[in-house]
Amino acid sequence: MIEVQALAKQYGSFSAVRDLSFSVRPGEVLGLVGPNGAGKTTTLRCLAGIIPMTSGTVRVAGHDLAVDPVEAKRHLAFFADEPRLFEYLTVRQHLAFVARIYGVRDHETIATPLLEELELLEKADELPGELSRGMKQKLVIACGLLHSPSVMFFDEPLTGLDPLGIRRMKDSIVRRAQAGAAVVLSSHLLHLLEEVCTNVLILKKGEKVADGTLSEVSAQFSNGEAGVSLEEIFIRATGGTEG
Amino acid sequence: MLGALLYLRLTSLRNLLVQRVRRLRQPKYLVGTAVAVAYFYFILIHRNGPAAPAAAMAAQSMAQAGLLASAATCGGLCLLAVLRIAFLWIMPDEKPGLRFTEPEIAFLFPAPVSRRALIHFRLVSSQFAILFTSVLIAFFFNRAGYMGGSRATRAIGWWIILSTFDLHLNGTKLTLSRLRERSPRFLAWRIAVVLALAAYVYAVFRSGIALVNAYATQTQSLLEAPGALVHQVLSSPVFFWLTLPFRFVLAPYFASGLGDFAAALGPALLFLGLHYYWVSHTEARFEEGSIALAEKRAAAKAAMQRGEMPRIGNSRPKASPGPFPLSESGPPEIAFLWKNLLSMRSALFSRRALLIVAALALWAAASLGPVLSHQARRNGGDFFSPMVLGFTAIIAVYTVLLGPQIARQDLRGDLANADILKTYPVAGWRIALGQLLAPTLVLSSILWVLIVVAAAAADPLGTIGWLSPGVRVTAAVCLAAVVPFVCLIQMLVPNTAMVLFPGWYQATRSRGGGIEVIGQRMIFGVVQLLFALLVVVPSVLAALLVVFSSQWILGAGPAIVLATAAVLMILASESVMGIWWLGERFERFDLSVDTR
Repeated sequence: MIEVQALAKQYGSFSAVRDLSFSVRPGEVLGLVGPNGAGKTTTLRCLAGIIPMTSGTVRVAGHDLAVDPVEAKRHLAFFADEPRLFEYLTVRQHLAFVARIYGVRDHETIATPLLEELELLEKADELPGELSRGMKQKLVIACGLLHSPSVMFFDEPLTGLDPLGIRRMKDSIVRRAQAGAAVVLSSHLLHLLEEVCTNVLILKKGEKVADGTLSEVSAQFSNGEAGVSLEEIFIRATGGTEG
Repeated sequence: MLGALLYLRLTSLRNLLVQRVRRLRQPKYLVGTAVAVAYFYFILIHRNGPAAPAAAMAAQSMAQAGLLASAATCGGLCLLAVLRIAFLWIMPDEKPGLRFTEPEIAFLFPAPVSRRALIHFRLVSSQFAILFTSVLIAFFFNRAGYMGGSRATRAIGWWIILSTFDLHLNGTKLTLSRLRERSPRFLAWRIAVVLALAAYVYAVFRSGIALVNAYATQTQSLLEAPGALVHQVLSSPVFFWLTLPFRFVLAPYFASGLGDFAAALGPALLFLGLHYYWVSHTEARFEEGSIALAEKRAAAKAAMQRGEMPRIGNSRPKASPGPFPLSESGPPEIAFLWKNLLSMRSALFSRRALLIVAALALWAAASLGPVLSHQARRNGGDFFSPMVLGFTAIIAVYTVLLGPQIARQDLRGDLANADILKTYPVAGWRIALGQLLAPTLVLSSILWVLIVVAAAAADPLGTIGWLSPGVRVTAAVCLAAVVPFVCLIQMLVPNTAMVLFPGWYQATRSRGGGIEVIGQRMIFGVVQLLFALLVVVPSVLAALLVVFSSQWILGAGPAIVLATAAVLMILASESVMGIWWLGERFERFDLSVDTR
């Protein structure tokens, strides 16, 4: 569903991401972790087609992102850490706009249950300025899910959410994956990885340090010790320093 | 507390200067600084330098008229100050606040300092800005030099004027807050103060007009000796006492020598001190209002940096229905048009904005109308037609040149959402085209109205033989067909600039960004003008060539149609190339690179 081969991103002489390869199959949730400046957000932005990669190949739902970006983007949804919304469009107008962009037929029948599920129905005619941060985040999710994407990218999905919102977001990610979506999420919160992710990819200074299921990565860095926490594994994998 | 304030301000100033100097290593700031410095040198400082003998003589002869102009300007500004204060009493803030920044609130409000100390902090803090402004005005604008005094005395004069007004505003806000908290007759107090202010303004006007009329009966023309008129008005006992508070404040600025200045300084400082005592000793709550004010200012600054125009007034955006029903299928460009028209309605066409535009139009009509009509009468022509044509021409030029800077509901308005737009399954050129449609449509609509008005008003007496009704309609329709392409190409300029040089563009959006930002804005303006000429000149030349070569055979009407076809081909080609290229650039656009 997501296939990445030798992805690299260069800013002048600075290499933000180097020779990164991995794949995510339907139903899998890949956790992208690493210290600050490791290249997590750059990787996600390259995968979502927001910024052009310097070299490498990214295939989304079988479509090469560099060759056929429009078709690849039809299958993906990107959720930024900060909810980015159009100031003058109400909740309902956001969904109408997104439906037109993605060509979602009869979008009301999808949007109404989605708004109900996200508890946004009562706010349907309000502008983003009148919504709380959590509500804005929910609206972003509703917009992202409207076209039923098979590939989803989340950048720090729990930022600014209250405990209930965190629980719902985690449930939502798991549910979408169980329904067959391939999910990549970046986060500093290691407990999120333990609860939600099937696979983990650790980045450091733009390079892959480890990749595999949680148990595989644990085994790689536990040095045969039993009961080593994920936090300890993360510190060992990244050498305990910044990106 | 004052030590902390001084540390904060001086350290911040030092760091700001260091940062500004360091960023001159980037060409965009260095070029911007060079342009702005050159502009200020040649336009302001160079012109304010030692006057040539002829210029000095002209200045002498202008002094009399200048005195009258200064008196009128002062009167107008004093009236504005009174109106500003009256407005506070008529529509007081729900929670009046003093102007603190968000970091100041975060650090100072929870700190163990008294409310009075916070007020002191605010008042002393504002002095930095006022001092800087005063020196700047006195340095750059030496227009009142004929009245005597030096730049130093005028700078101090400005400082007294601005400080007193700032204190008066804050005193009024705090007094209103205190009255709201403690007086059950809040409304009665406000009505009484507003009536008193109205009576005061009426009394000043009445006495002023009476004095001018009295002077007019003595002399043939009011403008014969304007200095004497000003002297007579100002020395009248009634007018003297009525305007005494303003005289205290303005006297140091208008002092002609050091002796006069010293004499004027005492009362002015005493008056300023009384204001300071008033403000610092008024016990009133201001914390909540200050927090709200700081949030509003921070939001406005963030909006500016996102590329949006600051909203007129304090109103929050309101939800409104879409401009037309948006169907689920069809070209995505229409979705962008729909979205941006919706944004435009809320951002540009608020009731308050329309009122301001109407007021500006009235002002323009009142000031330019007589000049145009006088010209028309002198030429023995029609009175109404040249005036209308003049106005339509001026508005059309402004719409084409300044419209793209005002109507920003395009890629620039969505700079913050660029990441989201790029995840859409839509080709870059289609996003670019869609984003430009709404401002193009709005600007074109304005121009279409102007074309209709001009076509109706041109040559009402039918003196131009070839301008038959048929030719008139043909020309109007042809011009109307060309307009959208001209607007679209004009919209391409700032959007391309934003995508090509986002760092530059972002820098020009920062408020108070320094001299380099002024220079950068000037460069953007010049580029817009040059591009307009570059686009229009080939089309105009082609049109003229076709008209002049074919009208002998085809006649005026068909020649205009043929010329329009040629122009449309040129403009359409330019538009297609521009949109395609902008879309390509947008697909490769990465804000994080250019603003690193």
